[in-house]
Amino acid sequence: MNLDAADTRARLETFLRAAAGADAVHIRKLHRLSGGAVQENWALDADMAGGTHPGPHQWVLRTDAAARVAASLGRSDEFHILQFAHAARLHAPEPLWLCRDLAVTGREFFIMQRLPGIASGHRVTREAALVPDRALLARELAENLARLHAIKPPQPKLAFLATTLARDNIAHYRKYLDELPAAHPALEWGLRWCEVHAPREEEATFIHRDYRTGNYLVHEGRLAGVLDWEFAAFGNPLEDVGWIFAKCWRFAAKARPAGGIAEAAEFLEPYQRASRRAVTPAALVYWQVMAHIRWAIIALQQAQRHLSGDERSLELALTGRIVAELEYEIVALTRKVMSNV
Amino acid sequence: MNDIPEAAELLAIARSTLLDKLLPRLPDELRYDALMIANAMVIAAREHAAGDKAAHAGLARLSALLAERNEPLASAELISARADLNRRLATAIRAGRFDDKDRAALLDHLAQTAADELAVSNPRALES
Repeated sequence: MNLDAADTRARLETFLRAAAGADAVHIRKLHRLSGGAVQENWALDADMAGGTHPGPHQWVLRTDAAARVAASLGRSDEFHILQFAHAARLHAPEPLWLCRDLAVTGREFFIMQRLPGIASGHRVTREAALVPDRALLARELAENLARLHAIKPPQPKLAFLATTLARDNIAHYRKYLDELPAAHPALEWGLRWCEVHAPREEEATFIHRDYRTGNYLVHEGRLAGVLDWEFAAFGNPLEDVGWIFAKCWRFAAKARPAGGIAEAAEFLEPYQRASRRAVTPAALVYWQVMAHIRWAIIALQQAQRHLSGDERSLELALTGRIVAELEYEIVALTRKVMSNV
Repeated sequence: MNDIPEAAELLAIARSTLLDKLLPRLPDELRYDALMIANAMVIAAREHAAGDKAAHAGLARLSALLAERNEPLASAELISARADLNRRLATAIRAGRFDDKDRAALLDHLAQTAADELAVSNPRALES
């Protein structure tokens, strides 16, 4: 779908004019931002006259791509999460308007503020000049995550969010595996190990579920925004810690445990201090195993979209070939016999 | 000695032509696609070069884990035999039958299987 077609652009201007109560709207620029097989992000520069938001603006238009993934929220739910997260000062971009009328662009979309900075995981972990003080960035990420985890259910504005703790994850992932055409013994092993070592008790908090390098913006070396809230849920906060530590998300710096950015302590110390929550070594291993299993299943589902013919795509096909690396890491992490988490 | 370029040679020269001749002249928004094409080609080339050896070895290990007799198979039957044994192994793992005494043998098999696949899909991952 080309959002940039002349008639689509005109309908978008009409929508924006009505949404902001403006006298006139002119879209100066509209181009696709890179990244994301599951959603499309478009940079939208517009000038507004009158209404609630007069002046020049830099926004993002976010809409579905064809490759929806089970457990990722639709645009409408994500919009409401952003409203909540922005109000809670969690570095979420400010969401402005949600459009559920398919007549405008053919799909649901929303408009949000465009934050400055670079999100690219490869660049942020490879180009030293982008992050001159890595411990500082790690601390900002940790403290922001601790604030996020301070939010506990129930939350009336988030009534639609599911709760998923360790045993729920295991059950979901087994169900997803059962839906795939082939068997995956290494992932079954990871899940069985997680089942045997599952924490006896868990707390449930608001969790992001994709809080990792590649999904936050770095601007002038500092944390400037957190993106991709479409997987948010209530669950074990340690799941988010395991995700940002997972080797599969360290991009060009596999040797730096915290997001490919910093040493473990540079993240864990501020996180534990700010959240008053302990992250034991065993818990860190457990939730990194869970992270690799989850990403492997998403990768298999994305490959299946290509193989089934639903969406033939080189990117989706290649995503299927990363599973072996995830399985290799799951075996490495679970080789040691552990005491309970 | 063969004097007609075969699959591996064709893939190699096609890939280097893409990277050396096309990539420098592509607009920015097509760079990622070109790099993905180059990656897909090198994976296909490695897969072709690797042949059936790892698959046969994997089947032998699977048979041992499941206490099956390992019978030599033609390549055509290899895929379905492995798929069948993988399904049985997956079921047994989920049921907890590899929790204790067969754990080490299972892990060795899973590690070797993943490593064999990584040698084809991303050999750099084996270096770290």
